Amino acid sequence: MLFLAPALLAIGLLRIVPFAGAAWSTLYKRVGIGLLAEQRFAGLSNYITLLRDPLFRGTLIRTVVFNLILNPVQIALAMGVAVLMTRVIPLRGLWRTAVFIPCTIPLVGSSIAWGIALRGDGPINGILQALGFGPQPFFTSPHQALASIMLVASWVGIGYWMLFLIGGLNDVNGELYEAAGIDGAKTWRIFWHITLPMMKRPLLFVLVADTVANFVLFIPVQLLTNGGPQESTTLLMFDAYRRTYNYSQPNLGATSTLILTLIMLVIVAIQFRLLNDED
Amino acid sequence: MTEATVPNSSVSRVPRVGRQHPQKILLTVLLTVLAVLVAVAFILPGVWMLLGSLRPGNEVIESVSPLGWHTLFPTSWTLDNYNALFGELRFGRSMLNSLLVAFASVVLGLAISVPAAYAVSVLRFPGREAVFTVLVVGFMIPFEAIAIPLAQVFTDWHLNNSYLGLILPGIGNGLAIFNLRQSFRGVPRSLREAAFIDGASELRIMTEIYVPLSVTTLINSALLIFLAQWSSYLWPLLMISDEQRQVAPIAIARTYTDTGVNFGQMFGGTLLISVVPALLLLVGQRFFARSIATSGER
Repeated sequence: MLFLAPALLAIGLLRIVPFAGAAWSTLYKRVGIGLLAEQRFAGLSNYITLLRDPLFRGTLIRTVVFNLILNPVQIALAMGVAVLMTRVIPLRGLWRTAVFIPCTIPLVGSSIAWGIALRGDGPINGILQALGFGPQPFFTSPHQALASIMLVASWVGIGYWMLFLIGGLNDVNGELYEAAGIDGAKTWRIFWHITLPMMKRPLLFVLVADTVANFVLFIPVQLLTNGGPQESTTLLMFDAYRRTYNYSQPNLGATSTLILTLIMLVIVAIQFRLLNDED
Repeated sequence: MTEATVPNSSVSRVPRVGRQHPQKILLTVLLTVLAVLVAVAFILPGVWMLLGSLRPGNEVIESVSPLGWHTLFPTSWTLDNYNALFGELRFGRSMLNSLLVAFASVVLGLAISVPAAYAVSVLRFPGREAVFTVLVVGFMIPFEAIAIPLAQVFTDWHLNNSYLGLILPGIGNGLAIFNLRQSFRGVPRSLREAAFIDGASELRIMTEIYVPLSVTTLINSALLIFLAQWSSYLWPLLMISDEQRQVAPIAIARTYTDTGVNFGQMFGGTLLISVVPALLLLVGQRFFARSIATSGER
């Protein structure tokens, strides 16, 4: 089929070949140093090495926890803002645009902005001190660095997902609300019993899409913390990158990549089911 | 500005506010205050960056203490940061590279996605659903997940440090193919059959009937591909070492790790790489969010 050939060629070369190559190389081990190194079959030993490595296990758990916290919070906030911005209030379009503008800034820009804002001598600490709080370490503390990364991702993320939810809310709004309003239902009850159930599909879709995006979060980690301090911001994507390019462990890096890709495959399959649901 | 997506039903409610109970007015006031606070919280870092890019770079941090009006507002205004960006830092070159890569990806991406979506929505052949699933799921897996092994493959093919190497990974977009198929399915089959009887080829039917009827989805798909490529970071990091071919996000990140450059220049560069997606999204946001939020419901 001539129509499909280019797309199939593209998916073969750009996804399946590298995936198969990576899967293959996870079964091998590099023996020797430099040019003399050779690849030797090693069975599943790369997987065993990784899963026994407490640092990798820590990374895996950290990545999952990071997503379990960040994604619901982002979606809840995006939903809250979306509901607020679809209420009838003066100059609504202006406020909506203000929330939306940061999401036009690429993540690398958000990373730079917050990297500077959260410096020890930066404006956020300036504000905190003016309010009577002590200066916070943010990216330089193992307790605060990951939360700071979440802030970087959320500043651009919330406006982005809000956009999708506003689209969904506009489909829900209208006659149902008119009917509920005539019945004298309270705002909160309308939200809980009408809006939320009708928003289930867009909400689920956005949640899964958000998870897909945040599971491979890389830029702020690489740019701002390099996985530190004390590995507190090492997420799976950064781990795969660092093993391959900084630690010269390409086979372990591939194993890490493969584990990440398999997780992604499951999440994307769920997303696909959601999209395809009502066909 | 963004009122384009507001449904008409809400407009008719506005005049009613004045006649309602004091409680309702209070609620509107509270919600407005809340909306303003939220808006300020989101926009303030952006304003800080914009104003910071217009002041001498060292002032960005020096103005923090004592905290005051001038922490945000420059005491002296200057365009030096932008002069430096387009002059010695050669940021314009990186911007042009990014534009070239993103546009080429859109053209190539649509050139492969449209026929593929046409095949899986209009033509009948065994295994059609399976092909569709493989294409969409395969291309929906974020490219980052597969970037490292793909970078090794591309290096073996000597595609590193080339525009082609930057463009190719961005051309496949699962959501674009999915949305296009949804849109093509909405085109009445009778149109195709009529054209067939007139002797039109599949290629002509696709380009002259299906594509013109799916302009909205086409714009949406183009936006998806463009934005993904424009903000791409990990891939050019792995692919490009030649500064002549470097893209803007990496160029600006380099200035962050390079201590010699000042914050004003970084802010300027960040705003410059935000202008293109900002314009595209402000113009195209109704196409962008709408067709994804409602896809599958047709």
